[in-house]
Amino acid sequence: MKKIFGPHTRRVLDVLAGLRGLSPGDVDLVAATWKHESAVDRAEAWAELHRATSRDERYPILAAAAAGRRTAMDIARDLHRTDWAFWAAAWDATAAVAAADVIGGHFDTLAAPVAEVMPSLAQEQVGAQSPARVPSPRSQHESAVSRGRSPVPRGRSSRATP
Amino acid sequence: MKTQFRQFFESSPDALLVVDSVGRIRQANARAESLFGYRHEQVQGELAQTLFPGQQMTWCPPADTPEQRRAAGRHLELVGRRSDRSQFPADVAVIPIQTAEGPEALVSIKDLSEAQRAQFALELGFDVVQSAERDEQALLGHLIRAVEQERGRIAADIHDDTIQILSAANLRLQQLRHRLQDPDDLQILDKLDETFALSLSRLRQLIFDLRPSTLEEGSVADAVRAYCEEMRSDIGIDFRVEGSCRTKIPASTSMLIYRTVQEALVNVRKHARAKTVRIKFLDVSDGCLTRISDDGVGYSPAEVENRPGHLGLTLMRERAELSGGWCRIESSPGGGTVVEFWVPFDNSPEQPGAGRERAA
Repeated sequence: MKKIFGPHTRRVLDVLAGLRGLSPGDVDLVAATWKHESAVDRAEAWAELHRATSRDERYPILAAAAAGRRTAMDIARDLHRTDWAFWAAAWDATAAVAAADVIGGHFDTLAAPVAEVMPSLAQEQVGAQSPARVPSPRSQHESAVSRGRSPVPRGRSSRATP
Repeated sequence: MKTQFRQFFESSPDALLVVDSVGRIRQANARAESLFGYRHEQVQGELAQTLFPGQQMTWCPPADTPEQRRAAGRHLELVGRRSDRSQFPADVAVIPIQTAEGPEALVSIKDLSEAQRAQFALELGFDVVQSAERDEQALLGHLIRAVEQERGRIAADIHDDTIQILSAANLRLQQLRHRLQDPDDLQILDKLDETFALSLSRLRQLIFDLRPSTLEEGSVADAVRAYCEEMRSDIGIDFRVEGSCRTKIPASTSMLIYRTVQEALVNVRKHARAKTVRIKFLDVSDGCLTRISDDGVGYSPAEVENRPGHLGLTLMRERAELSGGWCRIESSPGGGTVVEFWVPFDNSPEQPGAGRERAA
């Protein structure tokens, strides 16, 4: 079977389905967490994603990200939420899942805000990684934080803007 | 219970078989008979294997064994064969059951032909979209380069030709000034002087817009600052330019960053009704991260992106993508707009299919 969102299509579809089950509180938490995360770390993760993939490899990843963003925008509209940080977080997270085996330790940077309300996402990387790739110490720390689902994320870099 | 099972078995929309411990079909429901094209008496007592020839299966693993526990609820994709020898893709689920006759298996079979056809159509559509998008990207890349070349050519023509002619005309005007005595004539000459100066100033501004000299002489931040100054004097939007990318970056990268910022600022100017715009540059991962944020009225991406005619937004994304970078444009009504993009310092256009280094 050809995978429209790349080799991790099934996981991407799971995330899309998971997004549909979020509550208004979940949406707010994801948006707040995304804003609290470091924009520089995110930029580095996206830079890595672009550097590590060819244009053809990137296409299904960006298709997944676009589907995640679109799904999140629909959910936000249904839940009367307007903070774009939520669909930006969904864009990041679905891209991370689709690119899980090429972005190494950057997975957690991109997936963490959505993982706050979708704990299974925090463990996605473990299954997707090749043995040669290990999460960075910072990512491991963040995974632990994200599994804690703290309403105000703690212990993360607060460089919220470039 | 037996009656209920019988009703369930017969009315199931899926083809169902009950297979005994040696793999023989004990029962088949009506849907199974129609799916495989056999009559009841033809299929009963036959080996289940005959419906899936050449595919080795343990239909009914021994009870209370790890093999049985593994088999419980498993789904397999097999190829079924009908009585007319035609084949079809099938999703087969095997559920171990315990009956009065001992351990048996309930086998559920779904014909995947329709699903596969739908998937094929979807994949075909996806390929068509992907191919069209590749063409669009190639065309846009060509367009962006052509526009930049043409801007450079026009700027050079204005500088080397039009401005030289105007300057020569101005010199002759000054020569004429020495011959004139009448105050009225001199007043007219002053007016002409002013007009010349204004024309030259406008032409130099045009050259700057077409090919910002500060990009060649200084940094992108300086060129953006100059553009913002002009915007402030035109429409009064306040601005802050912070940080800067490293000075020695290829001219093509500087131009790409400048043009993208310019595009974002044109949108601010035209649509945002903002009081302040903030532009920030930062070196990130051998590239430049740029963020343009305004405090304007914003827009609803879900509505705006569904409407055609947003060439500016598309161009910003495509410029970054073509250079191996990325661009994110986000907004919400009343929440201002943020354009954030990153481009690598070395932005030689990437060829389709070309591989890049992998994450270590």
